[in-house]
Amino acid sequence: MTTAQWLLMFHVASAFCFVGGSVAAAILNFLAIRAERPSDTAVLLRLIRRTLPVVFAGVLGTLVFGIWLWNCLGYSLGAGWIWGALVLWIAANALGGIGGRHQERARKLAERLAVSGDASSGELRALLRDPKGLAVSYLAGAATIGILVLMFWKPGS
Amino acid sequence: MLLAYSRAFWPLFLHVLGAMTLFGAVLAAIVAGLAKLPRATYAALTTAIPAWAVTLACAYWIEHDEGLGSSNATWLGIGHVVLEPGVLVLLAALGTAYWWSRSAKPVAGRISTVLASAYLALLSVALLAMSGKWG
Repeated sequence: MTTAQWLLMFHVASAFCFVGGSVAAAILNFLAIRAERPSDTAVLLRLIRRTLPVVFAGVLGTLVFGIWLWNCLGYSLGAGWIWGALVLWIAANALGGIGGRHQERARKLAERLAVSGDASSGELRALLRDPKGLAVSYLAGAATIGILVLMFWKPGS
Repeated sequence: MLLAYSRAFWPLFLHVLGAMTLFGAVLAAIVAGLAKLPRATYAALTTAIPAWAVTLACAYWIEHDEGLGSSNATWLGIGHVVLEPGVLVLLAALGTAYWWSRSAKPVAGRISTVLASAYLALLSVALLAMSGKWG
């Protein structure tokens, strides 16, 4: 295998960790929103943390191997699709971080409700279904898909 | 712009997006299985099935478009084995997760989590083989 093939293999494996880990977190978040008892919501939201090492490995790997590939394959420094992907990479991470803080607030409230009777409240339901919180998560997902589109499309390449 | 709407873009994009979703769904099932949550494990594995179908359908689409039907490449063979007979491992994990969610027997949970982990390992080998074009 050539150096470029090795780098591409690690870049794609990192992308699987980034996107796959984000999908796993999204599934657990979706199940937490649908859970009936606050204790179940709290457990599912806490589990999202277990997917984070996979996501972080992917986030770091896509950047390192991606920039290395950029140099190795001799793409121009002015390649717009690569800069676009980098901007979306930053946006996806920033939005993912904001969404994560929103989930942490919901988890803390769910844990408080779980130890005081385990009955759901309007405040928890509102926090879990908060349009702004959901919009941030959807935008993070859209930015991630946008990176994939640019990687396969390579406009101008 | 035209490429984005051409047949060359869509099959590979959807194949990889489907495989990434499949990877994530199986990962979520393992995390839920290790936390001993039968219904969440079953729900996550249920999500994996449509993702698997998209990945497989788009794999055939790419093979057809690029004339890879008669190729003996190692990476292609690994991809076929993991997606086709390999789905039996995924279905077995799904079946035992259903059994676990109905019976609450811990053994069913352990089997389901081990099977899901085995399937994630198979997927990892396939993605490395296909992206590195092994052989």
